[in-house]
Parts: sequence; C-alpha cells; structure tokens
Amino acid sequence: MTDRILRLISGIIDNDTRYRKDSKVLPVLRMLVSILAIILCACSSNAIFVITVLAVELMHLAFLPTHSMTRVLKRLPLPVIFTMIIMLPAVFLGNPRTMLTVTMKVLVSILILAIMNEDLSWKEITGSFSQLHLPDVFTMTLDMTVRFLTILSRLCQTIHEAYILRAVSVHRQDKSRMQAAGGILGTVFLKSSRMSEETTEAMECRCFNGTYRNFTRHKLSVYDILYACIIPLMIVFFIIT
Amino acid sequence: MHIPDNYLSPQTCAVMTAAVVPAWIVSVNKIKKELPPKKVAMMGVGAAFSFLGMMFNIPLPGGTTGHAVGGTLIALLLGPYASCISVSVALLLQALIFGDGGILSFGANCFNMAFVLPFVGYAVAHVISPHFGTNKKRDLVAAGAGSYIGINAAAFCAAVEFGIQPMLFRDSAGNALYCPYGLNVSIPSMMAGHLTIFGLAEVVFTVAILAFVMKAAPGFFSEKKEEAGVSLSLKVLLGALIVATPLGLIAEGTAWGEWGTDEIAETGAGYTPRGMADGFSLQSLLPDYSLKGLPDWTAYILSAVIGVAVLIIVFRLIGAVLGRREETETV
Repeated sequence: MTDRILRLISGIIDNDTRYRKDSKVLPVLRMLVSILAIILCACSSNAIFVITVLAVELMHLAFLPTHSMTRVLKRLPLPVIFTMIIMLPAVFLGNPRTMLTVTMKVLVSILILAIMNEDLSWKEITGSFSQLHLPDVFTMTLDMTVRFLTILSRLCQTIHEAYILRAVSVHRQDKSRMQAAGGILGTVFLKSSRMSEETTEAMECRCFNGTYRNFTRHKLSVYDILYACIIPLMIVFFIIT
Repeated sequence: MHIPDNYLSPQTCAVMTAAVVPAWIVSVNKIKKELPPKKVAMMGVGAAFSFLGMMFNIPLPGGTTGHAVGGTLIALLLGPYASCISVSVALLLQALIFGDGGILSFGANCFNMAFVLPFVGYAVAHVISPHFGTNKKRDLVAAGAGSYIGINAAAFCAAVEFGIQPMLFRDSAGNALYCPYGLNVSIPSMMAGHLTIFGLAEVVFTVAILAFVMKAAPGFFSEKKEEAGVSLSLKVLLGALIVATPLGLIAEGTAWGEWGTDEIAETGAGYTPRGMADGFSLQSLLPDYSLKGLPDWTAYILSAVIGVAVLIIVFRLIGAVLGRREETETV
C-alpha cells in the first residue's frame, strides 16, 4: 500500500524525465479550465453537468497515447471504490442516486486531474502557479514536498527494513519498539535537514533564490482562443443546468 | 433489431446465449492469433461506427423505425471475428448504459447482430469479390450486397426468435407469456422493413463509409502495423456522425418488437403478456439515450460521445495488453 502511494506521488515528477513535447495550449489556461471544471462539478446539484464533463474527458482520454491512457486509468479504481464504500450508507438509507452522483463527481475530478498531469509537465504546472501570482513560497513548498516525500519515505522504509533484519530472533518489548521508531524518525529528520541544507546550497549555486519564473515563450494560437472560450461556456452551461 | 428484455423467455435467452458463446470463444482466439495489436485498437473505431449506426433511427411507414448495424462493414475492414467482438461490445454498452436492448436477451441480440450479420455479410461479399481490396468498384458492390443479405439474415433470425414465443410459452388462459406475435406476424413485420428501407440503410452506411475509408485512410487496409491507426479523416468522420446522431430523433415511433410494456397492448395484441409485466428490468444510466433536464438532441450527442469514447478506450486497452504479451513472448 505504501509502495503504491509512493509510486503515485513519484509519478507526478517521474513523467518529466521522459521526453515530452510542450503543451499546445497555454499551460495556465489548461490548468484554470481543469480547476474550474472540478469546482463546478462539485457544486452541481444534478448529474447533467457532471455527465457532460465526463463525456468530454472520456473523449479526450480515448485519443491520448496508449501509455498515458493506461496511466490515467490505473489511477481511477482506488478513489472510486473508496468513495463507493464511504457512500454505501446512502443506499441503505434509500438514496442510491446520491451514492452514484458523488462517486461520479469523484471519478470526473480524478479523471480531469490525471489527464491534466499527462498533458502538462511538472515544470509547466509550477510555471503556471507563478503566472497565477500564487506566492512563490507556496510553489516551492509544494515542489519540495513532492520531491522529498518520496525520497524520505524510501529512506524511512530502508532504515525500517534494516532494523527489522537486525531484530530477527531478538525479543523486544513495546517500549523498545517505540524507542526504535523514534530512532528511525530521528535519523530521517537529521538526514532530511542535511539534505535541505545541501539543496539550498545547490539552488544558490544555480542562482535560484526561491522565485519561480516562467521562461517559456508560448505564442498565442487558435488552440488558446478555443480553450479560453471554454471558460464562459462552462459557466453558462453550469448556470443553465 | 435490439430485442428488449421479457420479449423472449429466459429459456430462449439461455439457448441463444449458449449458441453465441462458442462464436465469442473462437473469435477471441482468432483475434489473439491473427490480428496485430494495433488493429485490435482499431476494433474500437469499428465498434464506434457500429454504435453510431445503431443510433440513427430510420422511419418506416406504419410508425415503426429501424437502424443500420454496420457489422458487415467491420467484417470487411478487420475480419468477421473482429466484427463479432466489436458489435458484441457495442451491444453490451448499449444494453448496460443506454437500456437499448435487454440484458437477458443480450445473447440473442449478439447471435443476430454480432454473429449472423457479419459472418453472412462477409461470406457473401467474398463470394462476389474473392480478392477483396484489389478492385474498388467490385469491392463496393460486394460490400453492398453482403451488408444487405447480412442484415436480412439477422432480421430473419430475430423474427423467428420472436415468432416461436407464443407457440412455446403460454399461460393457462392461452395468452402468450412473452412476445404475443407468432411467426405469421413476426416474419412479415420484421422482413418488410429490413428488405426495403433498413436493408437500404445498411447498404448505404456500409458502402459510404467503406468508400470513404478506401479513399481517405487507405492505411486501414495495410498489413503493416505502423500504417494502421486512427487517421485524422476517420476522426473527422466519427465527429460528423456523432453530431448527426440527433437526426435519429426525427423518426417517431418504436421499432417493431421494441415496444415498452405500456405500449404492447395498443399494438394489436390487446393485452400485456404476463412475462413482460412481471419480468426483469434494469434502470440504466442514460435510458433511451436521454437525460432528464436536457433536450433530447443534446442527450443524444452526449450518449454518442460517451459510447464512442468508452469503446475506443476498451479496445485500445485490449490492444495494449495483447501488444505487451506479444513482446514478452518474443523476448
């Protein structure tokens, strides 16, 4: 289970190591449309808007490259099943439609985010945050968190495995187990603070002062205009339905 | 030609399902052995065309409607075994999500439209044009003839399945438990429409799309894996068909043998068979391709988009899995 979560988080950045073409649409616009779609789906009181967005996203998914499509589909089952289990009491209380509507909203939200992750690289996403004038400290915290979460979790796992191997055939009481856990976490903490110092020095060597700037020169095209039209259309459709 | 639930007895449904299962098994094995993985992904496009063809309702004088199926088209593009599976998946999607065709009668629908139609159509087309793909005019004539005979063969099978119900399943008062019309009514009713307008629709659908694919996407027929793919022209054609699906709403009236439980008494039977009144029913997500609160034409387009997208995704996934297995076996 921990491995799956780590793979999920590391997958956000790992995709960037493969060669990827820049997005045809302005990344900030792409992100805005996705976030707006998620918010409107969550706020919609009936299934019409959600099913419409689902139809559009399914069509988008159908024409993604096969490896991207497989990656997106692998992310869907767990949240959907989890939501269905959480909402199961609604069925017993006589409201099966509620369970279906909420599950569909979760499915659509995960689908939108997963497809956006396939379309945009992590660099484009963090670049979009700076274009949206989000505080740089927020972007840097998010960036560092995603990167170090996987590194430190793997480190924690390695130390834990080493401890267990050394503890074979040795009877330990609960108190010493807690001390061992404290030792592992303490080691990880010390390691993480050393890694953060090294990261700071590396960033300073590369003249990075925590400010995220977008250096890509994206020329406005027809795709951007069409995408920009989606925002008012979505809002009007949401109001109508 | 979609047989709804409760028109056929559970026994008939079981027999028809048992009859079509071997066809599925053989088709799946043939596809695994003979069809390259990229062409398996193209089965999704074929299934999408079939799905869209089945959404275009065509009216017949007398108040009934029908539709093309496209099984022969897929058989000529990808082979009869691929057509069997493609049309079966399209029918499954229609039954589960759109309530078009029954769940219990799924086996019967697949036997008629996914087995009889494509295999008969393919055989006839290859009798007329043994070297299919070499002479365009002869190929199109063969495709037209094959699709016409294929759809009529399927309609005949459906008519027989309807017609034997009152003979075999009656209650103590002598009323039919399921479809109330015997062979003397079901065969002329089904065949009249399919020998005329619906057969013509199938021919036009098959020949038009085949001609388009031959001209705009000749790579579809290529044996080379690299050339097979969803070209822009095919995507445009799919898009155009999706947008045009609301034309199927112009035709009013229900297809013969697809009436609802509340409509059957008024069709001349005079009563609602008990098997239909008390039978199995499933509430689908988008029944009859409609959504409460949306105009019919919008819901129709939405249904078409969802259906096409799901079919393409399913077959591309199957193609990807088969492709990986092929690579593992090669290694």
